[in-house]
Amino acid sequence: MESILACDRVTKRFGGLLALDRVSIEVRRGEILGLIGPNGSGKTTLINVINGVLTPDEGRILFEGKDITKLKPHERVALGISRTFQGMRVFPYLPVYYNVELSARSVLKDAKLARARTSWALTVAKLLAEAGELPVNLTPYKLKMVELARVLATNPRLVLMDEPFAGLSPEEIEELSGIIRKLNEGGLTFIVVEHKLRYLMRLAKRVVVLNEGRKIFEGSPGEVVKNEEVARVYLGVA
Amino acid sequence: MAFAKQSGLRRAKRLLPALAVAAAYAALPALGLGGYWLDVLTRANIFLLIALSLDLYSGTTFYLNLGVPFTVGTSAYALAVLNKYYGIPVEYGILPAVLVSVALSFAIFLPSLRVRGAYFAILSLLLPIIAAGLVTSLPLSLYLGGEGGIHYPRLLYSYAMSLPVSERLPYLRLSYFYISVAAAAIAFAVSYKVAYSDFGFMLRSIGQDELLAEASGIDTLRVKLVGFTISSFLAALAGALHAAMTPPVTAEVFVPANTLVPPLTAMILGGMGTIVGPAVANYLVLIVYEFLWGVVGRWRSVFYMSLLIVLVLLKPQGVVFYVYLRLRKAVAGMIGKIRRGA
Repeated sequence: MESILACDRVTKRFGGLLALDRVSIEVRRGEILGLIGPNGSGKTTLINVINGVLTPDEGRILFEGKDITKLKPHERVALGISRTFQGMRVFPYLPVYYNVELSARSVLKDAKLARARTSWALTVAKLLAEAGELPVNLTPYKLKMVELARVLATNPRLVLMDEPFAGLSPEEIEELSGIIRKLNEGGLTFIVVEHKLRYLMRLAKRVVVLNEGRKIFEGSPGEVVKNEEVARVYLGVA
Repeated sequence: MAFAKQSGLRRAKRLLPALAVAAAYAALPALGLGGYWLDVLTRANIFLLIALSLDLYSGTTFYLNLGVPFTVGTSAYALAVLNKYYGIPVEYGILPAVLVSVALSFAIFLPSLRVRGAYFAILSLLLPIIAAGLVTSLPLSLYLGGEGGIHYPRLLYSYAMSLPVSERLPYLRLSYFYISVAAAAIAFAVSYKVAYSDFGFMLRSIGQDELLAEASGIDTLRVKLVGFTISSFLAALAGALHAAMTPPVTAEVFVPANTLVPPLTAMILGGMGTIVGPAVANYLVLIVYEFLWGVVGRWRSVFYMSLLIVLVLLKPQGVVFYVYLRLRKAVAGMIGKIRRGA
């Protein structure tokens, strides 16, 4: 399968802390890649580096063959990389519609197209009824959906999701998983960072495991579960 | 934005009350208003530009630009320098002075590339203080007139001198009022249009979560830069008009108490980022302040500032816009009732 994103020996330091240590991963077009690891293993740092919030100290990021290491986040969004954040992050004083339309307008200069894209994103996220609401009036699940709609409005080819299931009930996780799966079947590629492994293993086709800033394993969900090193560092098995 | 997009007719209907208020306001001199109170309104019109400048940028992005007096002051001094040293009449010097000031004001913008919040506010406040020190200290004071400032003929002075003596002052007062009304009306229309456009929502998104705005695909640096330029243009225009109408220009123009506190108060009382609220509050702030002189004399500052503190404590998100929304709802309800009755 063709590669859509490649991280090539990416290193990131925060003062004396080595957050990412020569991490290389490849994401294939049309897959759902799970990214797991204990707290502080570098998952969110890697997402931030791919998204452009952080610039790596060493290494490079290639998106569809193009070196995007030095690009700013909004430039990466324009290329087709969009993300959600750990915890729910929305514009609190803008109604749901504007939260989503802003993203559409940032990548689509044509207002009509942006409106159409916004409507589509709201439909996929099942938010049409809440379009006029302020985020403060929404449930955590609906806020997650606002994030998803915002991401979809940018017309992405690669979506980075940082702990999308956090704070959701099992039913809500199943519903969100269903939407992600459907979008993936439509050709959208995902990297999903998640602690709720039971759900992630059912969703992801491949999983990368990080520990202390290093990639320690990469394989199918079945292989990850059987791997001894993963069990030791991540699941706490001796 | 599209969500609340209205038809042209509906928008025109909504504009009617505002146009009626503007027309009534412009007709005040014809209704007998003149003298001191006309000067007060002229000043309020010019201060509206500063209030809008603050609200359009700081009220939406929450980058609190306390350096506005720097923009106002450099524009005023640029106008005076262009006249005194380059012989450019103030009538023609206004636009060049504004452009010079906008260019210099990017010195305020630069820190926003690295800091925000209180740090940006404090850094921006330092610039007018430095400028006030520079223009009154050697060697610049030799060139800029020091404490006494720069003297030059005021706006429309040549024409006024051709009139009979008794007509000169009323002519200047009336002309200044209408020039300031025109500037205020244009500034309000532009600010409102910008603040409630897609671009305005991008400015607001930066104020609410800059990182999320960037992650949503918004080029936050470009949006801030454009917003800041428009905002600076308004403040610089206020400075140039003020200087053109009330020579000499002195370092007083850089003093935050003179050119920052009234518009800042208007922005906070009016409701940050709402444009309408700070615009209305601007007139209330300045008119009530002048009115209090006749009631409590020198105690007006104490009385007035105490009142403002109470209002801000009671309604930190802005009193005027809140009242405006309540009024609008009440009026709409009444119209609905009348229609249903009919």
